[in-house]
Amino acid sequence: MRSIANPRLMLMILSAVFAFLYIPISVLFALSFNEGGLPTAWTGFSVKWYGELFRNSDIMGAALNTLIVAVVSTILATVLGTLLAVGVEIRRRKGRFLETIIFAPMIIPDIVLAIALLSFFSLLNVVMGLHTIIVSHVVFNLAFVCSVVRARLKTFDWSIVEASTDLGAPMIVTLWRVVLPVMLPAVIAGALLAFTLSLDEFIIAFFTAGAGRDSITLPMQIYAMIRFGITPEINALAAIVMTVSVVILALSQRLNRGGLPGQ
Amino acid sequence: MNQPLLSIRGAQKHFGPVRAIDGIDLDIQENEFFALLGASGSGKTTLLRMLAGFEMPDGGQILLDNQDVSHIPPNKRPVNLMFQSYALFPHMSVAQNIAYGLEMEKLPKAQIKARVDEILQVIQLGDLARRKPDQLSGGQRQRVALARALVKRPRLLLLDEPLGALDKKLRGDMQLELKRIQLEFGITFIIVTHDQEEALVMADRVAILKDGKLLQCGTPHQIYEQPESRFAADFIGVMNFFPVTDVAGILTAQDGSVITADRTLTKGGQGVAAVRPERLRLDGVGDNAITGTVTATAYHGLDLQVHLRTPAAPDPVVMRLTADAAEARPLAAGDTVTVHWSARDTRVFAD
Repeated sequence: MRSIANPRLMLMILSAVFAFLYIPISVLFALSFNEGGLPTAWTGFSVKWYGELFRNSDIMGAALNTLIVAVVSTILATVLGTLLAVGVEIRRRKGRFLETIIFAPMIIPDIVLAIALLSFFSLLNVVMGLHTIIVSHVVFNLAFVCSVVRARLKTFDWSIVEASTDLGAPMIVTLWRVVLPVMLPAVIAGALLAFTLSLDEFIIAFFTAGAGRDSITLPMQIYAMIRFGITPEINALAAIVMTVSVVILALSQRLNRGGLPGQ
Repeated sequence: MNQPLLSIRGAQKHFGPVRAIDGIDLDIQENEFFALLGASGSGKTTLLRMLAGFEMPDGGQILLDNQDVSHIPPNKRPVNLMFQSYALFPHMSVAQNIAYGLEMEKLPKAQIKARVDEILQVIQLGDLARRKPDQLSGGQRQRVALARALVKRPRLLLLDEPLGALDKKLRGDMQLELKRIQLEFGITFIIVTHDQEEALVMADRVAILKDGKLLQCGTPHQIYEQPESRFAADFIGVMNFFPVTDVAGILTAQDGSVITADRTLTKGGQGVAAVRPERLRLDGVGDNAITGTVTATAYHGLDLQVHLRTPAAPDPVVMRLTADAAEARPLAAGDTVTVHWSARDTRVFAD
């Protein structure tokens, strides 16, 4: 029987899909190096917009904020999410309800979560700022870290914990030499995922940042600038953020392939 | 009588309302190869985990070298367990896996290396020392798991269904290999298995467990030839059962034929007479005789299995004829045949 799929046709469709996905991004990258700075005409290669970008104190301040939020919320979400994943896995037989509520923040729309968090902070009369963004990012990152670590734990052979004890190891040595090394790739993958999500998160940060310039993050800054048209600096900024995100995500994917480092 | 290495006294373990271990007394001697045999749910694994220290008994004592170890945690007992799943550390090489237990004893590096190399020779995996567990075959992983437990030179080595995951051919080889290693190291082995053949082949003594109780304990020969209960008789090997009524010491089968045995039912009444398939004879020698119709024959190489339907028993009677006996009297389905066996080979159990 002849195959229904025509290989040449399949290749064309595939190319079209990739073109659709990546041409806009390529354009952005190209324009970030456009000397003239206009999206309509190419006047020559230059990195001057990157220079402009680094001299813009508004953008640099926002970048610093974003970095603080991403790093702190990633650390918190990774520690809590890993513990949560272990706890849920141990109590797995108690039903799937727990699982559903843990993963809810992953599924519900960001805007809903943003409004909910805003209402919550207002209700408690919390003064909003970077710390409220951090807490909010922990809320949804927790779910992502937990799901990545849980995927790993599903195949975790708990008998190795007993084996380590049987061979004479105290619990703390077992955790350090057996449990952590086996789980580490998933924990790092979860942390990298959380970091990238936090890095370019806009809606929730926008709602929970409070007033004032002090707690503006990078996506918020870009949004503010874009209202006056896309400047070449934004292209340069977007290109950097893109690159960082892609590298981290690729790293995370690699680690989370289910294998261990060195295999 | 020597002081036993291990003495289990009235051990009990409950999981909620379930009595997993219900009062077990057992003595195990130094250098013994001992098998705990039972179906799933018999409590054999719980008992093993209790010896390893992963379960604490609710009652009774476990004495090792005359010391009560009942409540000593697993990492402080001179006992090692070879896990059914092998439980090898996936991120460590074969050599690192084996060295782990010695590192916990804080031995000097040179000594650890020497002992790891030595045990790698014993299990013949010297050239795979740098491999990770997922680069090994099932049989190789099994040997690494054994080496990792053995290298600590425990007083007692526990093996939880050690051959369960291997295919049949490999299992046969490993049974002999385990016996060889046990003799070579002079370490007491306790093996848990549901495979009665495995228990009979390897062990010096076998204990049959059922519902958390010890049913019978003895050499493989005793267990096979002198089962003390109907369950034990049925569980080990193949056994033919004839329901009988005991009236004044005369055993009568359901079709009225009389079965003679060395023993009768102590209290009279209902029971079963039992005989092993290989004790049934076609040459007319024996105190007992039943007549039946051949329903099927199956050739096994060494012997011929014949199934007979007889009014004396509800289930088909199984007979195992040696190649010689089968050739002397060829049988085919539909033949009517009378088989004999001696009173000596008849076991009687009350209902």
